[in-house]
Amino acid sequence: MSASYFPGDGVTAETPPLSGVAAAAKTGLPRLLRALAWLALAAAVIVIALIPLGYAVDAQFYRESRVGLSADRSLEAARNVYLGTEYWGYLLSALILAGLVTLLSLAVGVLLAFLVGRTDLRAKSFWDMAITLPLYLSPFTGLMAWIALGSAKTGFVNGVYTGMLGVFTNEPRALINIWSYGGVVFVMFLFFCPFVYLFTVGSLRAMNGTLEEAARTSGASPLQTIFRITLPICSPSILAAGLLVFVLAAETYTIPGIIGSTAGFTVLPWKIFEDSVAAPVHRAHAAAGGTMLLFVTVAGVWLQRRLTRVAERFVTVGGKGSQTPPLRLGRWKPAALALILAYVLAADVLPFGALLISSLMKFSSGVLNADIFTTRHYATFFGTQNMLVALWNTVFLALLAGVACVLMGFVISLSELRRPNTATKLLAFLSVLPVAVPGLVYGIGLVWTWLQTPLYGTVWILLIAYVAKFLPYGVVVSRTGLLQMHPELEESARVHGAGPIRTMAAITMPILKPTLMAILFFVMLMSIKELSASVLLYTQDSQVLSVLTWHYMDAGDYQFAAAIGIVQTLIMIGLVVIVRALFGVRLESAFSR
Amino acid sequence: MFLQALAFPFTNPPERVAASHAYTRLARTLLTGMVLALSQLAPAAAQQSPAPTDEAGLYEAAKKEGKLVWYVGGPLDGMNAIAAEFEKEYPGVKVETMRLVGVQQYQRFMDETSAKKYLADVLQNTDYPSMLSLVDEGHIAEWRLPTSARIPEMYRIKDFAYAQYTSTNAIIYNEKKLTGEEIKLLETGWEAVLDPRFKGRFSVSPMKCGVCYAPVHMFLDPKLKDKYGAEFLKKLAEAKPASYSEVLVTIDRVIAGEQDFTLWGWEAAGAVKLKQGAPIRWLFPKPTPEYGNSWQGISKYAPHPNAARLFLNWTNNDKGAGAMERVYGSKSTLEGLTEQRPYVRESWYKQPVELYPVDQKRWDANYHKDMDLWASLLKQAQ
Repeated sequence: MSASYFPGDGVTAETPPLSGVAAAAKTGLPRLLRALAWLALAAAVIVIALIPLGYAVDAQFYRESRVGLSADRSLEAARNVYLGTEYWGYLLSALILAGLVTLLSLAVGVLLAFLVGRTDLRAKSFWDMAITLPLYLSPFTGLMAWIALGSAKTGFVNGVYTGMLGVFTNEPRALINIWSYGGVVFVMFLFFCPFVYLFTVGSLRAMNGTLEEAARTSGASPLQTIFRITLPICSPSILAAGLLVFVLAAETYTIPGIIGSTAGFTVLPWKIFEDSVAAPVHRAHAAAGGTMLLFVTVAGVWLQRRLTRVAERFVTVGGKGSQTPPLRLGRWKPAALALILAYVLAADVLPFGALLISSLMKFSSGVLNADIFTTRHYATFFGTQNMLVALWNTVFLALLAGVACVLMGFVISLSELRRPNTATKLLAFLSVLPVAVPGLVYGIGLVWTWLQTPLYGTVWILLIAYVAKFLPYGVVVSRTGLLQMHPELEESARVHGAGPIRTMAAITMPILKPTLMAILFFVMLMSIKELSASVLLYTQDSQVLSVLTWHYMDAGDYQFAAAIGIVQTLIMIGLVVIVRALFGVRLESAFSR
Repeated sequence: MFLQALAFPFTNPPERVAASHAYTRLARTLLTGMVLALSQLAPAAAQQSPAPTDEAGLYEAAKKEGKLVWYVGGPLDGMNAIAAEFEKEYPGVKVETMRLVGVQQYQRFMDETSAKKYLADVLQNTDYPSMLSLVDEGHIAEWRLPTSARIPEMYRIKDFAYAQYTSTNAIIYNEKKLTGEEIKLLETGWEAVLDPRFKGRFSVSPMKCGVCYAPVHMFLDPKLKDKYGAEFLKKLAEAKPASYSEVLVTIDRVIAGEQDFTLWGWEAAGAVKLKQGAPIRWLFPKPTPEYGNSWQGISKYAPHPNAARLFLNWTNNDKGAGAMERVYGSKSTLEGLTEQRPYVRESWYKQPVELYPVDQKRWDANYHKDMDLWASLLKQAQ
């Protein structure tokens, strides 16, 4: 074992593999059985994640017909996409947009997390809840809300602003215009920032403060301490959050697509969407474009792993507890509160309010009066059998997908970190790849994989799709949690005779309970909002709310879609409350590692 | 492909992915062949079914089947309303709607068919070439409607598929945003849009869809080159319209008052919103593009064939077509149908004066090229 930074402290030390003593400890299950279990898991990952991915990538090597792919092989699409400038331009646009959104989200998200997690601000639980509330909205639903709020002439915000300004001038002026590049960045930032907050606030809270104290004692200023001690220690969480936001932003097609046409730019995911659905379809081009995004994510995962290789040495959760006094904000407290309030206003109060109002309107309008309101949408929703079936399917799938991703993700990461070898590392790497491919392209692979099985046409194929799509988060988040957990406790259990399974069940999982809950919450929320694969795989017997929302939006019935969006949000909150009551872990504190 | 497929269980993992694809493709090809071969035997089954005109017999057989699955391309709300009217008319036969639009529907149906997953009974597709392909490839069952003679030839694909209604392009405007004088000016023709007073007040879309293409198709008609042509499209783009990626957003923004009117509107879309109380009206500039939409046919592999036949008959008879006009608002293709669209009795409503029938061949040949031109002109002008 290499030397610790503080020998004997047990708080900050290099993360070693299991020691020889532990490895020699008596095991609870025969090696063969464990190996078989791991092989079964690897096989499951290959079947549910990699084969569809293979199909999705392979689709680019077929000749296109007007309505799909012909049986003939062709390199034409791959040549057009990779050797032309058009798709590279779209990719660059997507990466620039994702980069801007990620930077803004990281800057604000980490700052918010720091303010709530490490300072003496009060009502932390309330701020936790308020800052993470946008997670309960899909970005597209959020966009609908911001179209109602921020359209130049009829947006509610601009209406209020013009009304206020009217005292001084008669000229109508727009405070914001959501139909612009800045509007896209703004809306995406609002809805991705909570991911950064969730991933970092827990680490900041759980972090041992002795290093910060040591820095301050050695004469470092508060800012120096933050930048040289606090942030580097939290870098695994920050990098994981940054990568997640970047990938999510890079594959988002709805917001940049809908606004981009008006604002005059096109991103690769929107081009892939158009290639996939607009006649004449270009499925091979869509697959090739999707592969471009796959390369980006592979690079991102590689980069994250490389960067966290150093950070892995900084273990902040050891066998000993710690309590760190919060940083006093002093005269900066009003400014900190103003920043948090501004975010909560823009990300919660305004969009949720606008969405609720929209769901009660007969049609879109910049002017609100009594005649325009109706409860018809909710009456229709709860009075229609199909809607209720979709609601049940949505809840059922979210719960199952969440549990599956927790278990699979945890075991994959645990085997990679505690028993590192080529096979376990490869499985961990492969299992995160599906995150990179846009859902529309990946969905085609899923259809081809499962079409000829009895699962097609049932909700189970949607479950497989959700597990395949969100397992990467289970792997990445549990890995981050495990990285920050010193194996001394596991070693101790093993030395005292516990087998690997018992150690995992009695030590590792309870310690990582908040992290595992974080994955459960996250996958549940993402499953409820998932659209791109669902829309390709659902049938009349397996409808889900996200698909229904899309259909009503696609048909221009934005008010009904808003009502479904509100129901979706309430389901998400309900599920989180239930899980919280059952396991005693709050979503806001679940991402504590 | 064959060797690759045979080698599937024995290949290494990276090759296995490719091989399994080949395996699936091979299986799909074989299955498709079997399906097509078996489908040649299908007429025997068809002969046992009640005749198209035997409504009572069809109903009895449909009741035994209990339901039908209707793949729809139109808005879910409107199609569900039509389905509900059918269920009222024929208790005991349930209609399950499944919305799949345009080419996506074609792809889904073909994937399902090649895997022998026969879920769909009746297909309604807004994309004419997709329906034409299905008919040409032998996936749509021949079914001569009892009302076939009342459906113009341009709205039929032999005795296989039928356009349920027409789509008529219109300028949809916010009633509070245009003056009477401006409405009259726009009614005179599309070129009136270029009047400086309208600059920056209207919306368009580069989206690829039938109703989006119909006006572009007309403007680029070689016979109308002197009047419109690419130059007209260029001038339109230079009039600084708001360009929205989704055509329905263009209408929504008019309803909200963000834009005064949209060039990319059509009557049925306006009718749906008007029914909800939206402050909109529409007008038909001369000439007005009109074409058959929502092509319907019965899947050759329909799991509920009699229910499907009964349904297709109903959607194309006076009761069904009338219900469609009433609840959805589109103009039926059924000739001799008593007018049932509610809004035509409104004082502001004026029927189109000069219809422009689309040229289906030119449509199929130039759709992509023309829409790309329009999108690029819009982009250049932004």
